[in-house]
Amino acid sequence: MAVAIRIERLSVDFSGKAVLRDASLEIPKGGPTFLLGRSGSGKTTLLRAINRLNECFPACRTSGRVVVNTADGAMEAYAPDTAVEVLRRRVGMVFQTPNVLPLSIARNICMPLEATQGMRGAEAEARMEEALREAQLWSEVRDRLRDPAVALSGGQQQRLCLARALALRPDILLLDEPTASLDFKAAQMVEELLGELRSRYTLIVVSHGLSQARRLAEYLFVLHDGGRVEELGKDVFRDKDALLTVLGDLL
Amino acid sequence: MVKRGQGAESALIGFSWLAALFVPTVLCAMVGFLVVRAWPSWGAPLFFGDTPALAALTGRAPVFDGIWPACVGTLSLIGLASLIAIPLGVATGVFLAEYAGRRTRMAFSLAVDLLAGVPSIVVGLFGFALILLLRRTFAPDANTGLLLSALCLAVLALPYLINATRLTLETLPAGLRLAGFGLGLTRWQVVSRLLLPASLRGVSGGVVLAVARAAEDTAAILLTGVVANAGMPGSLTGKYEALPFHIYYLAAEYQTPAELAQAFGSALVLLCLTGTLFVVARVFQRRLHRTWSGMEVAAWR
Ligand SMILES: Nc1ncnc2c1ncn2[C@@H]1O[C@H](COP(=O)(O)OP(=O)(O)O)[C@@H](O)[C@H]1O
Ligand SMILES: [Mg+2]
Repeated sequence: MAVAIRIERLSVDFSGKAVLRDASLEIPKGGPTFLLGRSGSGKTTLLRAINRLNECFPACRTSGRVVVNTADGAMEAYAPDTAVEVLRRRVGMVFQTPNVLPLSIARNICMPLEATQGMRGAEAEARMEEALREAQLWSEVRDRLRDPAVALSGGQQQRLCLARALALRPDILLLDEPTASLDFKAAQMVEELLGELRSRYTLIVVSHGLSQARRLAEYLFVLHDGGRVEELGKDVFRDKDALLTVLGDLL
Repeated sequence: MVKRGQGAESALIGFSWLAALFVPTVLCAMVGFLVVRAWPSWGAPLFFGDTPALAALTGRAPVFDGIWPACVGTLSLIGLASLIAIPLGVATGVFLAEYAGRRTRMAFSLAVDLLAGVPSIVVGLFGFALILLLRRTFAPDANTGLLLSALCLAVLALPYLINATRLTLETLPAGLRLAGFGLGLTRWQVVSRLLLPASLRGVSGGVVLAVARAAEDTAAILLTGVVANAGMPGSLTGKYEALPFHIYYLAAEYQTPAELAQAFGSALVLLCLTGTLFVVARVFQRRLHRTWSGMEVAAWR
């Protein structure tokens, strides 16, 4: 089993309050790997520790080691000579609430391409279309690419965020409760999408839906309060009763 | 009890209405007064005196009695001061909001607030002292003039620009920053491609305030190069005329009722000038905002 991300003794504090304590886990390539835990247990924080987004909050302190295996070899996320922008391009993220940029639908995808890879013109448009198709959004937006992205519905916005991440061709995708803010139908669509993306990307999905995890997960970790991480075997989490006995007190 | 409570409430509502009416009333009274008093002098002679308008506008004939040179002087001042203050102010605001550490930010903010509190006559004196210093050191020919006044006005306008930029950046939703960084943009790319465009409205509000501040100031230019009769501004270092000073000068020293009427005319012109600036800025900022958010000319095509 090839390892995509190795996390060793990771601790994260916000304003001196410990959110993660010495968390260690190995996330395999492919997946999807699901991350379950009570709300406030630090799931989002753990995801953001992988692409170093916690650094955007001045009150945050991180220690420990995160090794990300990309197509170009292993990257020590927190090594002093690691370019954080490069790391974030290899590790894409989709946030819990869709955060489209206040630009047109097309610019939402093309602007980051232009900024990070200098790609523009026909090449960027081709890449945009490919990403929108991959996120199952192309047919819905092909005629309104110049409309503001905020005019899309919640489910469409979430898929646009996914397409935006995919367009940058990451190796790993972090998905923070990607269906939490969506209605049933939109959520179902995103779930189907995850099933298709798993063959091409390493997917790490935060979820609080037990049934969702049971249906889609290939690997599953549980984040306990206080930052302890527990891995559950497939035999446990595929079996509803067994899973409930393990998690009953948690969820 | 109930009755008394209701009485107090309606009294309060009445008072709020009166207070709210106060501002438009004062404004109407002021503008009306200005228009009535300026009316006798209004017309081409107010601007150009005895010189034919076309010749004056194209600069082929000098204007002696009109306020045209003062209008051009004020516009030049505004332009120059903006040219100096806008890049400096916006850059400082960006630095304070995005790059400075907590300590630096606190120290700089204090400095900016102090600068905002400096009276414009002090800034003018400072500009004057600067010329004296230059004369005694490496520029014995230095003299007060258009550029020095513009510098002083830029100093007066800076705090507005810095604070507007900084406040707007700081109140942007945190998700915007996070989205940008999450996509692997560098800090500069996040600032220049996301945060600054998103804060255009707030920043240009600051620009308008700053420009208006620069347009009406009299004290700072008094000591730094404005004169009553200079004709059209000729060079960056030359003396010039300006509307606020012209008004002040005429109002203080008028000899005939016609001169007083000209002062009122000038005041109305200054008012129209700043009013136009506000409107132009508003239109400009709306257009920019629309372009950026992709409703018009999508840049990807
Ligand atoms: N930006 C932040 N600033 C301060 N505290 C934070 C921040 N993000 C998360 N926390 C704290 O970290 C803890 C875990 O948050 P989070 O990782 O969002 O949990 P989850 O995603 O599992 O609901 C919470 O107690 C929260 O208050
Ligand atoms: Mg969360």
